[in-house]
Amino acid sequence: MAARDADMADLDEHPRRGARSAAARKQKGRGFRDREEMDIDDRSGPYEATERGGTGPLQSVEGWVIFIANVHEEATEEDVHETFAEFGDIKNIYLNLDRRTGFVKGYAMVEYGTKKEAQDAIDAMNGQELLTQKLAVTWCFSRGPGRAASSRATRR
Amino acid sequence: MADAAGFYVRYYVGHQGKFGHEFLEFEFRPDGLLRYANNSNYKNDTMIRKEVHVNPAVLDEVARIITDSDILKEDDANWPMADRVGRQELEIVMGEEHISFSTTKLGSLLQVQQSKDPEGLRIFYYLVQDLKCMVFSLIGAHFKIQPIQR
Repeated sequence: MAARDADMADLDEHPRRGARSAAARKQKGRGFRDREEMDIDDRSGPYEATERGGTGPLQSVEGWVIFIANVHEEATEEDVHETFAEFGDIKNIYLNLDRRTGFVKGYAMVEYGTKKEAQDAIDAMNGQELLTQKLAVTWCFSRGPGRAASSRATRR
Repeated sequence: MADAAGFYVRYYVGHQGKFGHEFLEFEFRPDGLLRYANNSNYKNDTMIRKEVHVNPAVLDEVARIITDSDILKEDDANWPMADRVGRQELEIVMGEEHISFSTTKLGSLLQVQQSKDPEGLRIFYYLVQDLKCMVFSLIGAHFKIQPIQR
């Protein structure tokens, strides 16, 4: 995917296909030998983005999305709605299920129309309990690299 | 959990057929960049390529799902080979581990059960679905597109 991106200055650090994987890592799998014969061109860019650059939360096409982790496996969409509706009108809820067990996988996404509503929900609900489990609530998308930015700076 | 220095996930599924090279691929890079590509030539559908940075918390959740699945303990040595039906690739870098598994497209759980490594392949089968489900939600939530479920 990455092979032709001019902005991938860290390509040689990139683990794709194990080409320059850290020597200390244990490699396992046929994928290292058995490369795809399919058209690699299809798998390179360009990629569309809504916005690029900067730091902080990123606005989505129709609103602001927050990410909620440590959601109880028996939580329902109504539970999530009830908990998060008090901060604003909820545009969308994503509460995905474990494909094997059918229980909630453990995370949820909630979309608000405004940044303030989303920020209020994060401020109020991060660390609060839902069905005995402490939620971790934060922004879902960001304008630029997260914490790896620091490791990028110290490379080489 | 998702150690910033190295965490990386890539999944690919595709085949060459009468509509050309049709595939779905996504990756999570160490800096949080999520990339998604989907090409279906059926009815002149076009290539979709989207990218967005996700918060470190999202990478942590991906890492948790991978860790909980125990996929890193598996090996693709006895899985069905990629073939004319198609190809799946799952590459994960996490801590000291780097796996790059490949197999054919799995149409059903029955095919998994009848394979030489049903336990390992079942883990792969469900993990891939859970990861796809998460990526479809992320891409759908941010870009308001409905990725093709396959």
